[in-house]
Amino acid sequence: MADELTPQPPPDQPRIGVDEWVASVEEKREQYSGPIGRLRRWWDQAPVGARLLVFVVPAAIFPLVTTEGNLFRYGLITLIYALLGLGLNVTVGFAGLLDLGYIAFFGFGAYTYGYLASGHSGRHWAAEFAIPVAVAVAAAVGLAVGLPSRRLVGDYLAIVTLFFGQAFVVFVNNANRIDFPFVGHTDLTGGANGLDNIDPLKVFGWKVNTTKEYYFFTLGAFVLVMVLLYLLSESRTGRAWRALREDPLAAEVMSMPVNRLKLLAFVFGAAIAGFAGSIYGAVQTGAFPGDFDVGLLITIYAIVILGGAGSLAGVIIGALIVNGVPELLRDPNEAEWVFYTTLVLLVLIKLRPWRRLAVVVGGTIALGFLLHVVVGAAWSRGTAGEPGEGALAHWVSHWMLLPSHPTQIANWAYGLMIAAILMLTLLKGWWRTIAMIPTIWLAAFAWENLLVVQTAGATRFLLLGALLVVLMNARPQGLFGTARVEIA
Amino acid sequence: MVAVLWSKFWDLTVSGVTLGSVYALIALGYSMVYGILKLLNFAHGDVYMIGAFVGWFALDQLGGPLHPSATAWIVVSLMFVVAMVACGFLGVVIERFAYRPLRNAPRIAPLISALGVSFFLQNSALLVFGASFRDYDTFHLIGGRTFNYGNVYLSVPQILTILSSIALMAALTLLVSRTKIGKAMRATSFDREAASMMGIDVDRVIASTFFIGSALAGAAGVMFGLVFGQIYHFMGFLAGLKGFTAAVIGGIGSIPGAMLGGLLVGLAESYATGYLPQGSTFQNLYVFALLILIILIRPSGILGKADVKKV
Amino acid sequence: MGETKRLLELRGLNKSFGGLACLQDLDLHVDEGEIVSVIGPNGAGKTTLFNVITGIYPPDDGEILLEGKSIVGLEPHEVTNRGVARTFQTLRLFLNMSVRENVMAVQYGGTKSTPFEAMLRLPRARREEREIRRRAEEKLSFFGQRLVGYRWDQPAYSLSYANRRRLEIARAMATEPRILLLDEPAAGMNPTETHEITELIGKLREEGGYTILVIEHDMHVVEGISDRVIALDHGVKIAEGSFDAVATDPRVVEAYLGLRKAQTK
Repeated sequence: MADELTPQPPPDQPRIGVDEWVASVEEKREQYSGPIGRLRRWWDQAPVGARLLVFVVPAAIFPLVTTEGNLFRYGLITLIYALLGLGLNVTVGFAGLLDLGYIAFFGFGAYTYGYLASGHSGRHWAAEFAIPVAVAVAAAVGLAVGLPSRRLVGDYLAIVTLFFGQAFVVFVNNANRIDFPFVGHTDLTGGANGLDNIDPLKVFGWKVNTTKEYYFFTLGAFVLVMVLLYLLSESRTGRAWRALREDPLAAEVMSMPVNRLKLLAFVFGAAIAGFAGSIYGAVQTGAFPGDFDVGLLITIYAIVILGGAGSLAGVIIGALIVNGVPELLRDPNEAEWVFYTTLVLLVLIKLRPWRRLAVVVGGTIALGFLLHVVVGAAWSRGTAGEPGEGALAHWVSHWMLLPSHPTQIANWAYGLMIAAILMLTLLKGWWRTIAMIPTIWLAAFAWENLLVVQTAGATRFLLLGALLVVLMNARPQGLFGTARVEIA
Repeated sequence: MVAVLWSKFWDLTVSGVTLGSVYALIALGYSMVYGILKLLNFAHGDVYMIGAFVGWFALDQLGGPLHPSATAWIVVSLMFVVAMVACGFLGVVIERFAYRPLRNAPRIAPLISALGVSFFLQNSALLVFGASFRDYDTFHLIGGRTFNYGNVYLSVPQILTILSSIALMAALTLLVSRTKIGKAMRATSFDREAASMMGIDVDRVIASTFFIGSALAGAAGVMFGLVFGQIYHFMGFLAGLKGFTAAVIGGIGSIPGAMLGGLLVGLAESYATGYLPQGSTFQNLYVFALLILIILIRPSGILGKADVKKV
Repeated sequence: MGETKRLLELRGLNKSFGGLACLQDLDLHVDEGEIVSVIGPNGAGKTTLFNVITGIYPPDDGEILLEGKSIVGLEPHEVTNRGVARTFQTLRLFLNMSVRENVMAVQYGGTKSTPFEAMLRLPRARREEREIRRRAEEKLSFFGQRLVGYRWDQPAYSLSYANRRRLEIARAMATEPRILLLDEPAAGMNPTETHEITELIGKLREEGGYTILVIEHDMHVVEGISDRVIALDHGVKIAEGSFDAVATDPRVVEAYLGLRKAQTK
């Protein structure tokens, strides 16, 4: 009936103002360009099994091509963090709940497993019994915390869960000195020294001993959880969670029991964390209070958000970046390459047109050499310092100033660099472009004389922090997240 | 016996008020930013920490506590000024890089950005100042004189902290209620879009808010250093958390609320340490418990306004 | 016997927010198969009425009976499960979910399979999933060609305004309600779309068998669909009857246009 009223334009022309045109505009916007675009389009329509294989096959090959140390740091720990990320993804990504005490469930899993299977406690349960109990305990705690909190919204839930997380750390730190009313003095958690001598996993008779065996066990566990979560997300519960995340009021009115669903997500997340915790306890052969504090919480949150909250594949990428990058930066040589590559990439990507790029790059190089010559001539200590290890550092030492006692001046340079960055934001146009030259030079100076010395310590976390800011800027919805339309 | 208890009470109260003044200044930064951007600036605590270090750095450059190159009062004033200005600008830079690009992003993105900034600041301090604690050595700088009125004993740093907090808070209140920029801030916190349509430069207002809030945090950092002596690169986390707690207790978005909340948190922490069992170990938990209690009774904080949404 | 059932009945309903009385001693009923319209100037309490019926706000006083049983104090999702579905004046779609998913998600209350059954893909879960999908596509097809085919997989935010309104109604239908509460279904629509909506509401009753309570401002729509019209002003019912009777009632004219207009009419 409506068709009779509106005049029909020729079929090959877009009908402006009518639905289809709007829809196709949206489609065009979502198409990506270039090789990355092709990759993404393949990914979007690949069947789920294929996508899983893209991850599983390289992961399975990894232990065969790397050293044990690397396997542990890059492989096993990444997997455990990714497993934790999957659990947090349910709470934060699927249901949109800000749980800041999540790591406590991880701790519950580790300590429970240790309580059931360690030299410290005297019990030696097999893993096929101990792990389910640990998971159940974590889930029960999740229920206990979630039940009174399910009416809390957003920030308030965050506060309460944060409190719970802190309470857990204080508790396990002190639980070796508690006098319980009937049982008397018990040592539940080993206090500040931790619960040590945790048994390695014994699953159905198979004793998991080496790093490689742990790696494959954890890989299997991870894949299992991923598959189950995928199946769950494509079900009425998964849809209800997503609806709850979109608009809790509308979901509630549209037949979905929001509070119960929140509780379910909370408990699911806690259970997965407990599972990861039991594996972690066995791997570390001990559970220590410091492992379950805010530092790890931040790491896992970064993993989930970076990958894209709600995306299962994103968790893997997030874990690789957040765990991999600091590990990569431990070695000053590798760190040197990473720093300069990033600097060059940043400049290349952010500076258009070509003229500006040329001015900045040329100017910076010229400035460097100029200063090297001038300062070197006037003040010999200015270039007498030791270059770092590795070929790249050696080349750079011909360009950059390396004072022999760099500490004081490097600190000043660092401060100046931050001030220069501020200046950059206040300037516009060509002034800004020119100001970039000394800023970049200062950054390189600070790097060479201050940062590169401490890559094993402060520098890599500093860079991780900067990376987080940059990545959020570039893609706020996370690498695998979909650009979301938010109701104000 | 009673006299001892009574003097203990006053000691704890003075300590609580001093601590509370510091927390109040931190809380103000949280409240102001939340009021305008509905954002919890988790890097705020680390700005406070940088303030403490910048103050120490200024002290060091001026000869250090043992051989100051000017009278103590000038040195201390300079420390405050340098710390406040540096932190103010730092706050502006943080806003510009970590928050402004994410104004329309899902709420959790600025959170991660803030965490990244927090990492960056903490580790920068570690890098530049090293891992060992730095000492303000107030004893040599200002002296250990105490004043007393009856049972109430106050040391010079404590008096300084309390008085300058009051002065700063009074200045802030005047700024917000009497000046043009204050009016612009209030307007922007009510309705950002409407404010920009009325000719208010919203970016400028937000930058100013961050400047002021961060400067206050910087001042708080210096105060902490003067009263407690030792500063370390991780101090921002816990202090920031308590400042945030104070802001929420008082009603987040409310300036008088932040002041009240800060006071309450400081007193609670002090009394808990002094009176409750295992007080010093569990003091943070007691503070959090207070927070949860207040949220349960009055969800929007003591002086906060409930967000009424039309369905 | 032919006695029509009172599907929804409100007796002495009161609701105030602070000092503002939004509903005052309101009596209202909707019989099975009827289409009743609620009209009134802005601020008359119409949306509050819907919010109270669906359990978003509890009433201060009074009764709400659905098929004779009280639904006061139930959680909103329980009210929906009992058979009351609503749309929102300001459209509250799940924008980042696909069209089909929007209509599938709301069928949560009518299904029972647990997360474990879903994870293991047990028979009941598979059966319910097929049923949910089928019903979603069925409800979406109610709107002709507008919301079918490739549309099903598109995110809801890509829909035009009129299609979003239709989707909102499709969602409400998917909860298999006894009564549909439509809050300003024609808001923001041009004359063509308004005409379509009017026909659609009629079709909802004829083909879908729904009982409908509508809030509407557009008098063309009200005239075209209503068996009975109720006029509210400041939370008080000021007129009830056929469209012609209510539209010319002096109190209604006064509420909309002011006293002098009422006197000159």
